[in-house]
Amino acid sequence: MNYIKQIITVTRWEYSRFFKPKNEAIGLIIMLLLSGALYFGGKYALSESIPEIKVFVLNDNNGTLTEILKNNFTVQQLACGQKDIFIKGLNENKNNVLLDIKNGTIELYAYKNNRDIKRLKTHLDIYHQQIEMQKLGLSAEQLASVLSPASTKETFIIKDNSSNRLILSYFFAGLMILAVFLSFAYQFTAITGEKQLRITEQIVSAISPQVWMDGKILGITLTGISSMITYSLLFILGGVIYFQFTGASVLTILEYLHLPSIALFLPFALIGVLIWNAILAAIASVITDPNNSGKSSLMMLPVVFVIASFLVTRDPDSGLSVFLSWFPLTSATSMPMRWAITEVGIWQLIGSFLILLLTFYLLRKIAAKIFRVSILLTGKEPSWSEVYKFVKMK
Amino acid sequence: MQNTVLRVKSLSKNFSSVKALNNISFSINQGDIFAFLGPNGAGKTTTLRILLDIIKADDGQIEWNLDGNAHRLPKASQIGYLPEERGLYLDIPILKSLVYLASIRGMDKTEAKKSALEWLERLGLADRAKEKLQVLSKGNQQKIQFIASILHKPIFAILDEPFSGLDPLNQELFIEFIREINNQGTTILLSAHQMQLVEKIANKVFLINKGEELYNGSMSEIYKTFENKKIIELHYKSALNENALKNFKEAENIEVIENSIVKLTFGQNSDLKTVLSNLAQLEGDFDISTHKPDLHDIFLYLVKNH
Repeated sequence: MNYIKQIITVTRWEYSRFFKPKNEAIGLIIMLLLSGALYFGGKYALSESIPEIKVFVLNDNNGTLTEILKNNFTVQQLACGQKDIFIKGLNENKNNVLLDIKNGTIELYAYKNNRDIKRLKTHLDIYHQQIEMQKLGLSAEQLASVLSPASTKETFIIKDNSSNRLILSYFFAGLMILAVFLSFAYQFTAITGEKQLRITEQIVSAISPQVWMDGKILGITLTGISSMITYSLLFILGGVIYFQFTGASVLTILEYLHLPSIALFLPFALIGVLIWNAILAAIASVITDPNNSGKSSLMMLPVVFVIASFLVTRDPDSGLSVFLSWFPLTSATSMPMRWAITEVGIWQLIGSFLILLLTFYLLRKIAAKIFRVSILLTGKEPSWSEVYKFVKMK
Repeated sequence: MQNTVLRVKSLSKNFSSVKALNNISFSINQGDIFAFLGPNGAGKTTTLRILLDIIKADDGQIEWNLDGNAHRLPKASQIGYLPEERGLYLDIPILKSLVYLASIRGMDKTEAKKSALEWLERLGLADRAKEKLQVLSKGNQQKIQFIASILHKPIFAILDEPFSGLDPLNQELFIEFIREINNQGTTILLSAHQMQLVEKIANKVFLINKGEELYNGSMSEIYKTFENKKIIELHYKSALNENALKNFKEAENIEVIENSIVKLTFGQNSDLKTVLSNLAQLEGDFDISTHKPDLHDIFLYLVKNH
């Protein structure tokens, strides 16, 4: 049985062990139901939680404040001698608010500060502007002109850093985090589980540790990629539904799906997930007891590197962003993100991808070496210096 | 003349300061049932793992010749392996696991499925083929493990402690299966503790202790070598006084089993009259029986005198 055939057999086995379309569908339905429940439930809860306030105004002699507030609040004038009684009554009339205008200052009395009070304050700002405007003798149009931003006409040669591309780059990073989390879970379960069930000896008597490691890395990577594709399709569907609700054209979603960026992301993502699976497999190989191992926390290491890729969006042309898009532990996410939002030379793409490929090749070899020696260690967990010796073994 | 399918020469292995194997050599011919025997920690499993390249030897040569040509390693399809440390996927249907394990050894999936169902049928587990392994009893899990090691019809099967964990009925059943696959052409390398079972089927034996060879030859030869030994067994009905046994100075070996049975081994030159006289002086109520040394007796004798 040749190497390729053995790898295909192991890959198919690992893939079928972990990628369950039925479970995936159930998970998606549960996620949709939960999202719906959170959205509508939250909306309902927030709408019901704060009752509308009733605003009483004192000393609004020319009625300007009442005029500004009446479209958004229930407003009522308060008689002069009623102020003290009103303030005493706030303990019972908790939704009442008093605004007393005194020498250009507005005194506010309410039972407690809440969202409606904040909303009320924005209208008080408008009132303040109008009063100041009247003092200066400015018209409403003149004030609007003063407050408006500078009028500019922008022309760029590179037009790729649009907000749509930025959203797409965030989406890439999100998908990588998803794939890394899945790889973490499956690789950890697969290898530590097999060690605990003592299956390894039987398997490596039939195939070499390198074949088993390669098959495992490939199978679990494909599981992660399958989930990435499933969730991507779900998000596209969600986007289509969202645009329908907002009255935009369904085709608006296409503005976000920049096909060259996606075409670049796929190979980078594939090799990136393979690299992380090789690293996770190597770490899982030296863990003998997943419940008590100090090395288990290392399995979270990939997430740190994937999250670091978000720094690219702050300034895709900075030295840090360029480094992240070349460094093999971050480039799988950072390079497609940079490419989506700025100009990246083709030689950079090729160079970064070759480094990524080379890193994967070396890491899978190291992972298999560690796995080969750790395979029969079911008692004492090897120390880092012992792991280093495993790597150096011929 | 029979073909030699495995030749091991001067194999040595150290684990830190422990000498696990010290210059052992043996060869196995096609069709043999080769018993590889030794106490715990003797180096049996280490040898088997080296044969399969799971661990590396420090020194020595291994030559497999399962297809007419000499190789350092056999092909996966040629070898069946039942490891001492048992393990299968507990959360996966039995049939699926069996087919996978046979397919990584190169067996066609359809053929593997057919063969697995036949074996499950024979072991009375056909109706449980789609169940997960974890629902089976430990004994039945052992049976599945055995099927997994020979399902792909290997030329050479290495069975490490195949009888451990089995009840006497299933032990007998496994002996029948081992005989059957041997009759169908599979050479067997059998490592086990149960001497009375091993001597029923093995034609060759290799005894190992502390990594060193004690005996290497055919079963008939080993009996012949030790046929001049006499075993006298004392089955005590009353309390046993071990101090009194010191009088049997001519005994080559004295073994006390469960504080009620005494096994005395005497050599060819022992004076039976003296022995009988000493026996007559022994206190306590006991029955006496004698027999020729079996493999267990020989094994203990050799280990003790190693």
